[in-house]
Amino acid sequence: MTSIGTGYDLANSIFSPDGRNFQVEYAVKAVENGGTSVGIRCKDGVVLAVEKVITSKLLKPGANKRIATVDRHLGVVYSGMVPDGTHFVDRARDEARAWRETFKTPISTSDLASRMGGYLQAYTLYQSVRPFGITAIVGGFDSELEAPVDGEVGSGPSVGAGGKVEGKKHGGPGLYMIEPSGMYWGYYGAATGKGRQAAKAELEKLNLAEGTLDLKQAVKEAARIIYVAQQDNKDKEFELEMSWISGADGPTKGRHQEVPKDLLEEAERLAKKALSEDDDEEEEEKGDDKMEE
Amino acid sequence: MFRNNYDNDSVTFSPQGRIFQVEYAAEAVKQGSVVVGLVSKTHAVLVAIKRNAEELSSYQKKLFAVDEHVGLAIAGLTSDARVLSNFMKQQCLSQRLTYDRAMPLETLVSLIGDKAQLNTQHYGKRPYGVGLLVAGVDETGPHLFEFQPSGMTQEMLACAIGARSQMARTYLEKNLDKFAACGREELILHGLRALKETLVQERFLTVENTSVGVVGLKEPGKKGLEFFKVHDGAEVKDWINSLTNDTEVAEEPTEEPAAEGSAAEGSDSMQVDP
Amino acid sequence: MDHRPQAWGRPRDDVYGAYDASYMQTNGPNQHTQSPVVTGTSVVAIKFKDGVVMAADNLASYGSLARFTDVKRIRTFADTSIVGFGGDVSDMQYLDRHLTELSIDEAYQQTAHTLNARSLHKYLSKLLYHRRSKFDPLWNHLLVAGLDEEGKPFLAAADLLGTTFSSPSLATGFGSMLAQPIMRRYVPDEESVANLTRDKAVEVVRECMKVLFYRDARSLDSYSLAVVTKDGIELSENEKLEKQSWAFADRIKGYGTQTV
Repeated sequence: MTSIGTGYDLANSIFSPDGRNFQVEYAVKAVENGGTSVGIRCKDGVVLAVEKVITSKLLKPGANKRIATVDRHLGVVYSGMVPDGTHFVDRARDEARAWRETFKTPISTSDLASRMGGYLQAYTLYQSVRPFGITAIVGGFDSELEAPVDGEVGSGPSVGAGGKVEGKKHGGPGLYMIEPSGMYWGYYGAATGKGRQAAKAELEKLNLAEGTLDLKQAVKEAARIIYVAQQDNKDKEFELEMSWISGADGPTKGRHQEVPKDLLEEAERLAKKALSEDDDEEEEEKGDDKMEE
Repeated sequence: MFRNNYDNDSVTFSPQGRIFQVEYAAEAVKQGSVVVGLVSKTHAVLVAIKRNAEELSSYQKKLFAVDEHVGLAIAGLTSDARVLSNFMKQQCLSQRLTYDRAMPLETLVSLIGDKAQLNTQHYGKRPYGVGLLVAGVDETGPHLFEFQPSGMTQEMLACAIGARSQMARTYLEKNLDKFAACGREELILHGLRALKETLVQERFLTVENTSVGVVGLKEPGKKGLEFFKVHDGAEVKDWINSLTNDTEVAEEPTEEPAAEGSAAEGSDSMQVDP
Repeated sequence: MDHRPQAWGRPRDDVYGAYDASYMQTNGPNQHTQSPVVTGTSVVAIKFKDGVVMAADNLASYGSLARFTDVKRIRTFADTSIVGFGGDVSDMQYLDRHLTELSIDEAYQQTAHTLNARSLHKYLSKLLYHRRSKFDPLWNHLLVAGLDEEGKPFLAAADLLGTTFSSPSLATGFGSMLAQPIMRRYVPDEESVANLTRDKAVEVVRECMKVLFYRDARSLDSYSLAVVTKDGIELSENEKLEKQSWAFADRIKGYGTQTV
């Protein structure tokens, strides 16, 4: 950042001569200091996970949730400045509500990502505001029914005009990551925050594009990845928080929910085990090195 | 005079991704006199030290009732606190009117958190210069929340904010495991002991400068509430007296702020999440 | 030609003549819903010792025409409460969406509690009263059932005027005349609720639905039945009236085309 001090970084929405918006880049810095967030999209759902660093012993354990529900089928997790995150969540909820009011049907994950991408982008346009100091991961499961209409009271014609089209596939899992610039992409596996590099490396190993991983495995992988990403920061205690979304026939019945306690504990146990095995291997390698010396 | 160019408003990030105006607002909280809050399974307690501007003036109130089931303690700019407190009172009333229920604490606190966050993202606004401890009982039991100028709100088992509050936090951390099972009186005494830790030499808790706020369940597991009430003056006399007779203080001489100090200090001022 | 921005995209005055703005105004006062259009008839509900049973048939009538025969008029709220709707069906759908929004909002909180039936009833009655005070009522009569904050069975009604009422048994529409007397035999007062079992309550409600089908020309023999207890809600939307006997109809004289 050689351009610091040239004055082009003192206000939002200002381009530097080489075409950069420094305030957005600085907002990204705030994200990079935050606890790691991870999202995995697998064949039958989406898992969200976050590392919550415990800043004080006085915090109530298990409270202060960081993964938020936006609509029944949508969840959001974020890294960076937590109050900015709650602002993001509030807006996302408003968007989901407005969509339902207009179209009488739940907003799709991709539409929500688009709306929120637009919202964040607008905060890079004006000197009177600052960009969001968060990167958000939005996960959802769009209904596989043809047209789930809110307030529908009858079943309507079963086939034919106004009826259902047989054999057509709708909906499915969706995962998007939105950055302070407003840029967003769809992902199979997304990671942000302090441990994003290590997390991304682990996500790539899962070959998520193949669509073989199922939801329960994804929960365990997400837990393990958070533990791996936390390795460089070992001295800080943390809490793992996870949520998941399946289709209507899966464990959450199309809803965004916290991962049940027993599954979470099992995932954490396996994650710790995987880590200690890695450590052992490293120890062995080190031992070998020494002997060679 | 200025630390740098990035600290003039709350819409400018520093190259490290910090917002200095918000951090300075957090400093204003440390100027306020100390308040302590803690919860047990049945009660939530707030205690505070009041200050008077001069010998003959009255003491500034530190504890306020928001609704039957919620109270708050303030450290920092009192006038900012009044804005937030009035807002909370209105929200609680509207909840009672439309749903005939006591406002859930988590909802109430997130409302002021959201309100405060907006002030950190728009030019021409300034962050609130006040920290709050919000204590109350709702359908899920007693709760204590900390509110910071950044808009950060966190549920705590015990907390202290304001001048020299680190000493109180050290006391709270040391005794944290005892609070859950405490009865009403015990919990209040723990609060007052934490408060006492923050006093400089030759200063004491007196009936003039001490406030105690209590809210809780009448009986564990039952629905009845002991409404939030602030105790001042003669009402706190017995508690202060039993504190003076305290032998525990003699056993454990006041310690220097512990090592956790730096970590907790950081959480006070940073809005970058942990 | 008129090039002012206000005229962009409008029919040209020189071709079509000046626009007659009087079409934009209505003569006389604003009119809101004066009467319901597509309607549902009775909802009946009765408290028993552990909860509440509620039933409503699956018919939506357009005047005297049995227009829709698969309309479900009992909806659940957050797996803890149920609402039964009598009256206008489009207003029911509006309220249904409103309740969906409310239940989503309530689920934002991480802590487990949500609105109980009593709070829900309070909210709905305020909403109905608010609308009637705007002279634009939601043309419904609602029954709200579930448990209150102490875990006791709760049942209350709210109508299009915002009037509220609570009783061990309640019914809307024709049911208030035909079903209430039957239900009151079993639960004349709050004390007697503790003596009524779930099975008996279901039996009584089924009996009421049968009487209503016999006597109410805007009713149907297929209906929804819901039971709400502390364990949750059991809602069955495809109940059928059984063991009907129309023998009595033979002896009814004095209406229609009969001359004797």
